[in-house]
Amino acid sequence: MDQADVQIFAPGVDTDAVMRDIQSTVARKSEEGVYADARVARAERTNLIHLRDDEGFLAFYLSALREAAFVDINDFDIRERRARFAPLLVRLKKTIWNLLKFYTFRMWSQQNTVNGLFVTGLETMHEQYQDRIKKLEARIAELEARASGR
Amino acid sequence: MAKAQRIAFVCPRFAEHGTVGGAETLLKALAERVARSGREVNFLTTCATNHFTWENTVPPGTRTYGPLRVTFFPVNEDRDVGAFLSIQHRIDKRQPISRADEETWMAHSVNSRALIQHLRDHLDQYDRIVTGPYLFGISYFASLLDPSKTVLVPCLHDEPFAYLTITRDLFRAVPRFIFNTEPEKTLARRLYDLPDRGLVVGMGIEDMPVDPAAFARRHHLDQPYIIYSGRRETLKGTPILTAYLQAFRERTGRDVRMVFTGSGDIEAPDALRPALLDVGFVSEQEKREAMAGAVCFVHASVNESLGIVLLEAWLAGTPSLVHAKSVVLRDQCRRAGGGLWFRHYPDFEEALLRLLDDPGLRQRLAESGRRFVLEQYSWSAVERRLLAALDADA
Repeated sequence: MDQADVQIFAPGVDTDAVMRDIQSTVARKSEEGVYADARVARAERTNLIHLRDDEGFLAFYLSALREAAFVDINDFDIRERRARFAPLLVRLKKTIWNLLKFYTFRMWSQQNTVNGLFVTGLETMHEQYQDRIKKLEARIAELEARASGR
Repeated sequence: MAKAQRIAFVCPRFAEHGTVGGAETLLKALAERVARSGREVNFLTTCATNHFTWENTVPPGTRTYGPLRVTFFPVNEDRDVGAFLSIQHRIDKRQPISRADEETWMAHSVNSRALIQHLRDHLDQYDRIVTGPYLFGISYFASLLDPSKTVLVPCLHDEPFAYLTITRDLFRAVPRFIFNTEPEKTLARRLYDLPDRGLVVGMGIEDMPVDPAAFARRHHLDQPYIIYSGRRETLKGTPILTAYLQAFRERTGRDVRMVFTGSGDIEAPDALRPALLDVGFVSEQEKREAMAGAVCFVHASVNESLGIVLLEAWLAGTPSLVHAKSVVLRDQCRRAGGGLWFRHYPDFEEALLRLLDDPGLRQRLAESGRRFVLEQYSWSAVERRLLAALDADA
C-alpha cells in the first residue's frame, strides 16, 4: 500500500483564519488596556511556565507582574452576612481593621514601594537590552552590507 | 497470507476492565483489532496494575479476554527503585548524564525478565513484536531482541527522556513505527534524524448516539458549561483551566460552569468550587452525553501524543479549545477544523466568548470535527493503516 493512501488529513473550517481574527482582537484589546487586570495576571501564573520560550514572553510576563505587584492597602467595604447582631459585628470588625491598619499600612506601603521599584528596574533593564540588541543588529546588518559591497 | 501473521504485543500493563493509561488503552485496542482481523495475537504484559508501585497484583499465567490471549509475567522485584528515581530526577532537570547512567536508568525501569525470556525463547514464532511506549524498560528490551521484527508504538512527547542517547539509538535501530499523529512523527524524525518511515495510525473511536441535553437534565444544569475529561493533574493543565474559568467568570460576569469527568483532585480557587461539577468516572455513554451538551471541550495539556478525548468530544459534536503549546492538539484542531487554541488567558477569554456568542461558528467547528473523526478515526480506517504498518517491509 502506498504511504500516501494512509495519511490523515481532512479539510474543514479554516481554524487558522478564525485564530488570526481572535488574536488580532486580543492585540487590539491589549492596546486598549482591556487585560490590564490583576485577575488576568493571577490566572496567568499557572501558564507562564509554558510561555517562557516564546518571543514576547518577557514583555507579557512584565505586564502581568506589574498588574500583580501592587497590593490593595486601601479601606474596603466591611459587611456582615449574618443578620443577627450585624451592626454590632460590623462595628467590631471596623474597630479591628482600624487598629490593624495603623501597623499594616506602613508595612504594606513599603512593600508596594519595593515591588514597584523591582518591576520598574526589570522593565528598564528589559528596554535597555532591547535597545542594545536593536543597535547591535543594525550594526551587524551595516557591516554585512559593507562586506558584501566589497 | 499477510507478512505479519503471528504478532506479540508487549505492553507494561493490561486493563481487564476500563482504562489504565492512554498508551496502554491504545495498545490493547490495536491488539484486539488485529486479533479480530484473523491474525494470531499474543498480548504479553506484566502482573502490575498500579503505575506508581508496579507491584505484582494479578496472578501470572495466560488468560483469554474477548479476542485476546493475554499472558501475564511478574515485574522484576529486585529493581533498584532508588537508583532509578535518582537518575530520573536528573533527567527531568535536564542535567547531563552519562551513557552508563542512562543504561542504569533503563535497567531499573519497569522490566520483566520472565517476559523477555519468553520472547527470546519464542522469537521464531512471532513475525512482529509490537511494543510501546518507548520509555519503559520492558518496551526497550523487547524492541531490541530482534529489531527487524519490531514495530514501536512510541507515544513520543517532547520531553527530557526523548533526548537520551539510548532513546536515539532505539529509534534508529527500529525499522517500523506506529505514530499517533503527524506531529509525533515529525518530532521523531527531527530528534533522531530518521528517514520517512512509520505510519500515523491513531486509534478508532466508536460512534454512539447521544442526547446533548441528557447530561444537563440529569444534573439540573441550566447554565452553559465547558468540559474536561481525564486525569486532573498539573501535567494535564487542569489548574490552568480552573484559574482561567475563575478569571473569565469574574471579568465577563457570565455564569459558565465546568464539568469534570475522570479521576484526581481538582486544583481550583475556592470561589470557583460552586461552579464546578465533578462526576468522576462515568460510563462511556454518560461521558459522551456530557461532552455533547458542552459549549466546548477544553484541554490545557501541552504533552499529548494523540488526545483521544478530543476525538471523542468531536464525535459527540462538540468543538474544542486547547493549549497552543501542545503541538499535537493544535495540529489536530487545525486538521479537523474542529477547534481553537489559546496561548494565554486573553486568547482563552476571546475564544470562549466567540464560542458562546456565535452559535454558527460553534456548529461549523463541531460538524467539521465530527466529520474528521468519522472519516479518519473510524475503526475501518484505523485498521487499514494499522495492518499496513504491520506488513511494512523493514
